[in-house]
Parts: sequence; structure tokens; C-alpha cells
Amino acid sequence: MKNLKTFLMLAGLTAVAWQRAPGQTFKVIANKTMPADEISPGELRSIFLEQTLRFAGTSVEPVIEGSGPTSDAFLREYLGRDADGLRMYYRTLVFNGRGSMPNTFGSDAEVVAYVAKTKGAIGYVSASSNADNVKTLAITSGRNRGERILLTHADPEYPEILRKMHIGGTVRLRVTISAKGNVETADLLGGNPILGENAITAVKRWVYAAGSSQATIEVSIPFDPEH
Amino acid sequence: MLSHMFVRMIRAVLVCLCAGHAFVHAQEFKLFDRTVQVHGFASQGFVYTNENNWLTMNTSGGSGAFTDFGLNMSTRIVERLRVGAQVYDRNLGQLGQYHPSLDWAVADYRFQSWLGFRGGKVKTTLGLFNDCQDQDFLHTFALLPQSVYPTDLRDATIAHVGGDFYGTIFLPRRLGDLSYTAYAGHRSDSIYSGYPYLLSGFGTHFTSFGGLQYGGDLRWNPRMGLVLGASRLDQDTTGKGTALNPADHAAPRIPYSESSRADWMNQYYGEYAVGKARIDSEYRRYVRDQLLFGGNSRNLTDVRGWYVSGSYRVAKRLDFGAYYSHYAIVSIIGGALSQFVPSQTNTSLPANHIYDKVITGRILLRKYWDAKIEGHFMDGFGSSTYPDGFYLQANANGFKPKTNALVVKTSFSF
Repeated sequence: MKNLKTFLMLAGLTAVAWQRAPGQTFKVIANKTMPADEISPGELRSIFLEQTLRFAGTSVEPVIEGSGPTSDAFLREYLGRDADGLRMYYRTLVFNGRGSMPNTFGSDAEVVAYVAKTKGAIGYVSASSNADNVKTLAITSGRNRGERILLTHADPEYPEILRKMHIGGTVRLRVTISAKGNVETADLLGGNPILGENAITAVKRWVYAAGSSQATIEVSIPFDPEH
Repeated sequence: MLSHMFVRMIRAVLVCLCAGHAFVHAQEFKLFDRTVQVHGFASQGFVYTNENNWLTMNTSGGSGAFTDFGLNMSTRIVERLRVGAQVYDRNLGQLGQYHPSLDWAVADYRFQSWLGFRGGKVKTTLGLFNDCQDQDFLHTFALLPQSVYPTDLRDATIAHVGGDFYGTIFLPRRLGDLSYTAYAGHRSDSIYSGYPYLLSGFGTHFTSFGGLQYGGDLRWNPRMGLVLGASRLDQDTTGKGTALNPADHAAPRIPYSESSRADWMNQYYGEYAVGKARIDSEYRRYVRDQLLFGGNSRNLTDVRGWYVSGSYRVAKRLDFGAYYSHYAIVSIIGGALSQFVPSQTNTSLPANHIYDKVITGRILLRKYWDAKIEGHFMDGFGSSTYPDGFYLQANANGFKPKTNALVVKTSFSF
């Protein structure tokens, strides 16, 4: 049995190492004064496409990381375009009088530094970057936020061996919540499969506020090897 | 002649390079503790055609009279209020003639993501590219499909002095979002634009042309790289000036006026972008029923244009693209003018259509500088009572049914 577990762990690690493209791990950060702990994909999109100027009751400013795998992964997943496509989008706004060019930085450290000192700033950096001076926002479904408040939260186990090997990233789950608030199902949508298994185990212990009907939401759980 | 044009292009390129280095890091400054962003663009083109002269240029000899540039400044006054303005200037053959214009000047107040208002001189939202048709660096193609975005007629749709309500509504589940714009204002054409130039060939000179313009746009973005939308534009325009007496050209000039009986445009569009590939398609129908010579004549034009375009990024700095553009016009003349100008209803005639097959290559030389080379293979010249690129004045010896064109263009932006 123990051999089987070890084998499965090693097989999983191999699969993880193969799957873990360098740009697939990022986290969303905000200035520490941001009065929110989570953000939905729709809110991220509308903020970064300058469709909305406010988030969680406060003025918000998107901050862009100019290029690199972190930027590519974030833009592809949440904005549905690459860095060139996003630059063209902003230029269309700028040259038609419909928006402005957001502040763009060349590295995680610069993004973190700017977000840390700028009220309302929100950006993205690689999951492994040092984000002590900023707040990390969990990415979840905004549609159900407010309707289904999370009452009981359990942290997923982060295997030490993975942390030491700097294997982390964000796991995305599709979670079905019963009308009573219990998590009925949790399915892995993306991310590291071993971390995903641990995330599913944890999420199944979560309890939400009761609602009028069953709800399905998307939950993103970051695994940061530095923390 | 050709070498002279190339010298002009090389000079433009050098200016772009020098300006690029100077401006790339100088895009904003502080004013009353507000950050003011400054952006600009410039483009220079060269066009050579084997037959007819095109776009009011002497293209059969090679022409570099294809220049435009713009400069804007904008800032956020308070969280929800942004102001800005852009000056634009161009010279396209006989059009523009380097008379600068205020391209847009807006105050934009965003109440919520689903409701905002912008007022002033506002770029008109119409189809995929009407409002950004001048920004060459945004497009793979040196010339957008002329059946839907005729560059000689940009003034007709580019902007209005008035206001827009706009917003984005986020749809439930995974249905994406819905963006809308509703606007009303006053259109004012330069007398150096295509329609006044066309009529100048018949001895009519405008002193003013413009009028009410209102409409809306609705587009659905389901977030899979797909955009689907529809636009509607209604207008009530009046043009005033003087004209030759149609019955006796030697007689003194007579006052000329024209006004709309009906003037509307419907446009439907779709865009799909996946990975390095992108496909766009649009259909535009433009119906224009004008009373001419103060009402004693009438001209109904029915223009139908559509295109399908595709582009693919083969390398980080290299795109290739192609499109097919289909333009057809019907012109019906009524009243006194019908004695002198016949109606044209047969769109199979070269005079009433332009079918344009285009291939393009674009290379990004720097982040702020690109160059394009484009081939056009046109069937027809569509020279009717409403223009689309081919003008009698520029083709005094008459038109040939087919035209091939080579377009080389470079643009710079910061």
C-alpha cells in the first residue's frame, strides 16, 4: 500500500513537472487597503479592460506586467488575449478618447512595489513572487458572492515535498453548493493535479450560507511555495 | 517621380525613428497634480496603380500623397471623469490637404460600468473599425476594406458633436458581456472630403456640409474570442454652396443646396480571434435619398458593401492577411437632373461595383513602428453619384474596368 502511494506520488510529481509550464502560476495582488479578499474572473476582466473603475466600493487602477510567462498566462486566462492584443486594445481606447494606457512594468518586483504604494492598484505577479507588502486576492465566482457567503473555510494541505520543490500555482475548481450550504461536488478545472486533489479535499469541508437553490461556482486556490 | 516618392518615404521613416526615440519615454507629465498622457501617431503611404488613379492621388505614376498624423492628450480629473482631445491632420491626394481638424474632444463620466456618458466631439461607434480607422498601427491592412470603410469618405461617419450613452452589461453564467452605445449629435464634413470633391467635378462647390446624426451600436462578447454586433446610423444632412447651371455652363453660378429625405446605415459584424489567427466580416447597407438643387432633383443611392478578412501572425513581428471586399451601388436620379445624369441600376457594370481582392504583409520593426506592403486586385471602379475611391477628376481619360494597386505604408505611434 505504502509502495503504491509512493509510486502514485512520484508519478504525480512527474506529471506535475511536465505540466507546470513556467507561466501557469500567477496570483492577483492589490494594495493592502483594498477592502476585498477575493475577486471574480468577470471583475478582473472588467477592471483590466477599463470597463469599470470601481471594485469593492473603491476606485481601482489596473497595473500591467509588460511581458513574460506570468503576463501571458494571466492575460490568456482572464482577458482572452495576448500581450500584443491587450496593447492594441488599450491603444484603441487611447486614440478614441475612451480610456488611458495603464501603468506597465517589466517585472514582478516593480508591479509589487507600485501596487504596494498605490491605493486602489490591482495587478498580477507570478505565484512565487514576494508579496508581503500587498494583499493577495483569491479568484472566485463573483456571481455567487454575497448570495453564498463562505462561513467555514479549511486550508488545503500543501505537501512539504512539493513546497520544497517550488511546485505551486493556482488550482481552479468547479464547486457545487447545496441549498443548505454544503459543498456537494468539487471538480478540478485546472492546475496541478496533486494540489488539486488536496484542494478538493479541503473545499469539501467548506460551508457556505444557505441559499434559495443549488449553486455552482468557480473557486481558485493559490498554492504559494514561498508562504 | 517614383524616386521622389521613395525619398519622401525614407524621410518619413527617419522622422519616425528619431521621433520614436524622443517620445517613447515621454508620454506623460503632471499638471495640477494630475497625470496627463500624451499619445500620437503618424503614417506615410505610397500607392502605385497600373490603371486608374485611385483615392484622388495620381497613383498611375506612383503617389506618396498619403500622409496622416494625430496627437492627443487626456487626463482623469476625478475618479469618474476623464477629459481629452485629439488633433488630426491628413493629406490624401486632393483630400484633407493638411487642414488640421479637432478629431475628438470629450468629457467622459462613468456612473457605473453599465452606464457612462461622454460629450463633446465624440468618435462615432459604427461597426468594428469606424472609430479607429485612422489608426493604421492597429490594423494588419494598409487600407481597410473600402466597401465598408472608404477612406475618402471618413468625414461622413468619423465623429459627431453631441453625446453618447454607453455601458457594458455583464451577462449571467458564461454568456459574456453586452456593450451598447447610443448617440446623437451633429456631423460636420470638411469641404476637403470625398463627397464635396466628387461634386466639384460637376461644378458644385460646397461651403458647408453636415447635419444631425444619431444611432446606436450593440455588441455581444461571449468571451471566446468572438464578437458579434450591429450598428445603426441615421442622418439628416444639408449641404450648401454654388453650382454650375446644368442647362448652361456659361451662365452665372447658381445657389446650390441639398438635403436628406432619408439617410441611414445598417451594419452587421462579427470577429473571431483565436491564437494567432483572426477573422473579421462586416456587412454595411447605406441608403441615401437626397433632394438636390433645393428640391428640384433627387438622387437615391443604395450602397451595399461587405468583406471577409483574415490575418495570421506567422512570427512575433510578422503578420500576413487577406480580404475580399465587395462593393455595389445603385443610383437613381429623379427630377430635372435626370435629363443630364442617367440612373444606374445594373451593379454588374464596372461603373457600379468594386470587387477587391487583397493580400498584405505587415512587419513590426519596433514596438512603435511598423511597415506594410499590400496588393489590391480590383474589378470595377464604382464611380457613381456617391464616391468610393475612383473619381472622374483624377481620371480625365475615363476609367479602365480593372485596377491593380501596390500600397506600401509605414506608421509610427507612441
